Amino acid sequence: MSALTFTLRQPPAQTVDLSPLTPDKLAVKSREEIARIELTCGNRKLRVAELFDISGEDRSEGMVFRASSDRLTYVGARMEGGTITVEGDCGSYAGLGLRGGRIVVHGSVGAFAGSGMRAGTIEVRANAGDFAGAALPGDKQGMRGGSIVIGGSAGDRLGDRMRRGIILVRGDAGAFCGSRMLAGTILVSGRVGESPGFALKHGTLLLAHAPAELPATFQDCGEHALLFLTLLEKHFQREGGSFHDFVPLAPRVRRYCGDLATGGKGEILLTRTA
Amino acid sequence: MIVNGVTIEDTFAEAFGMRATRILVTALNLKWAYHAARTMTGLATSVIGCGCEAGIERELAPEDTPDGRPGLSVLLFAVSSKELAKQVERRVGQCVLTSPTSAAYSGIDGEPINLGRNLRFFGDGYQMSKVIGGKRYWRVPVMDGEFLCEETTGMVRAVGGGNFLVLATGQVQALTACEAAIEAMSKVPGAIMPFPGGIVRSGSKVGSKYRTLSASTNDAYCPTLRGAVDSALSSEVGAVLEIVIDGLTGADVRNAMRAGITAVCAVGAAGGIRSVSAGNYGGKLGQFHFPLRDVMA
Repeated sequence: MSALTFTLRQPPAQTVDLSPLTPDKLAVKSREEIARIELTCGNRKLRVAELFDISGEDRSEGMVFRASSDRLTYVGARMEGGTITVEGDCGSYAGLGLRGGRIVVHGSVGAFAGSGMRAGTIEVRANAGDFAGAALPGDKQGMRGGSIVIGGSAGDRLGDRMRRGIILVRGDAGAFCGSRMLAGTILVSGRVGESPGFALKHGTLLLAHAPAELPATFQDCGEHALLFLTLLEKHFQREGGSFHDFVPLAPRVRRYCGDLATGGKGEILLTRTA
Repeated sequence: MIVNGVTIEDTFAEAFGMRATRILVTALNLKWAYHAARTMTGLATSVIGCGCEAGIERELAPEDTPDGRPGLSVLLFAVSSKELAKQVERRVGQCVLTSPTSAAYSGIDGEPINLGRNLRFFGDGYQMSKVIGGKRYWRVPVMDGEFLCEETTGMVRAVGGGNFLVLATGQVQALTACEAAIEAMSKVPGAIMPFPGGIVRSGSKVGSKYRTLSASTNDAYCPTLRGAVDSALSSEVGAVLEIVIDGLTGADVRNAMRAGITAVCAVGAAGGIRSVSAGNYGGKLGQFHFPLRDVMA
């Protein structure tokens, strides 16, 4: 038996809020009941059956959105467990407030992926938009736990006001990476845009390449072998899958403490100085 | 029961419920892990005067430690959860945090008690926490870099005070047999022998003629008092040594006792060993009884 699969008939005219469709919410619903669930599309309501062809029954293998589009938003929002696989792109707010489980997006995601998430994993095989793991406007904290793994590049303000958790970016990250971060860890294997760690309070930016210009409010603390990086590397090895792409971590890093304008208790760790 | 000429007396060891934890201490190399662990488990022979009983359980290969460095597994036992928490914090703070290149991690699941939660304040505000794989670690800046310490360790119910006595013709014979026993017992996981070299010469009885003392020398097993007291020693016994065992479970204590008594019996009557006995309080005080003949069955 194949996984419960929602195949998009055609991209909707407006964005659709898919937050009602998570494995934990659908666990005890029949296929007919699922087909009758109302989704918000722009200023009107659509039933699931009007938007998707539903196939498969096996809930143990999670859920699949096939032929997905960036008009599909809030994928896996506030999900508490299970797995969602998105074959294609999805829109903004993927994994918003995620409480557990795993979301795998084979394409790209829009803005605010993983915003306010507390646990679980979001894996984006291509690119993530701006504000991944960041706080929503008006919120005091962004991501509060769990992991976001981005196979491509991330937009601006990655992890803005992030409170806890790990964000891994295989490609580049945009401007103001880790801005106003409260704690947590962001690892970028590619290059970062201007002003990384702007107003960083606590937390770690682990960068494989030195930014073009490091803010003047970060001070050089020298080169060190930090033991917690070994723990982090072992964690990536245990998690496997896309986490494994970030192994090994450099044994020695150059530590810059900052942002001194906001207390200076955070750090940028550079694994290469060129 | 007689094994290789050694009489296994028909008696039992009486042990007590305790609280215990396992802490993994790592360092740049095994030498410095030993410096930290030996200091941490120093003055930890008996809960009566030391607050806890502690010892090194075993060496850990780099692949068995959280940070991939050589390390040691340390077990600590105390009579209450409050006392255990106090001893862990004091000993890790004074002996591991201070030791060059060291780090400390929880080595057991159980009710969480503080490990680095308060020690982090040594960082004077420069400490940083990292939550990795659901566990919180503290990075405390120190003069050789950072002291890394897990926030909590697990506390479990355990068994303390398992024991046996080795009755021999003389000091040398008793010590030789006990050394062989300790070598065998140190291979048993989940158990420690907290006394110096794992061996006790000052076995005690409850009470004293002096009202301020709760325990005093076990005169019935002192060979120099054979003619003066109601001695438990035959005329051919010239020295008695005791091995005390603390274990995470009753099975761990039993396994260690069996390994130790087997090693003592291997020395045998030819090596001057006459019998193996055990200390108890008539079975009225301890929750756990280990009859020697059952242990060796």
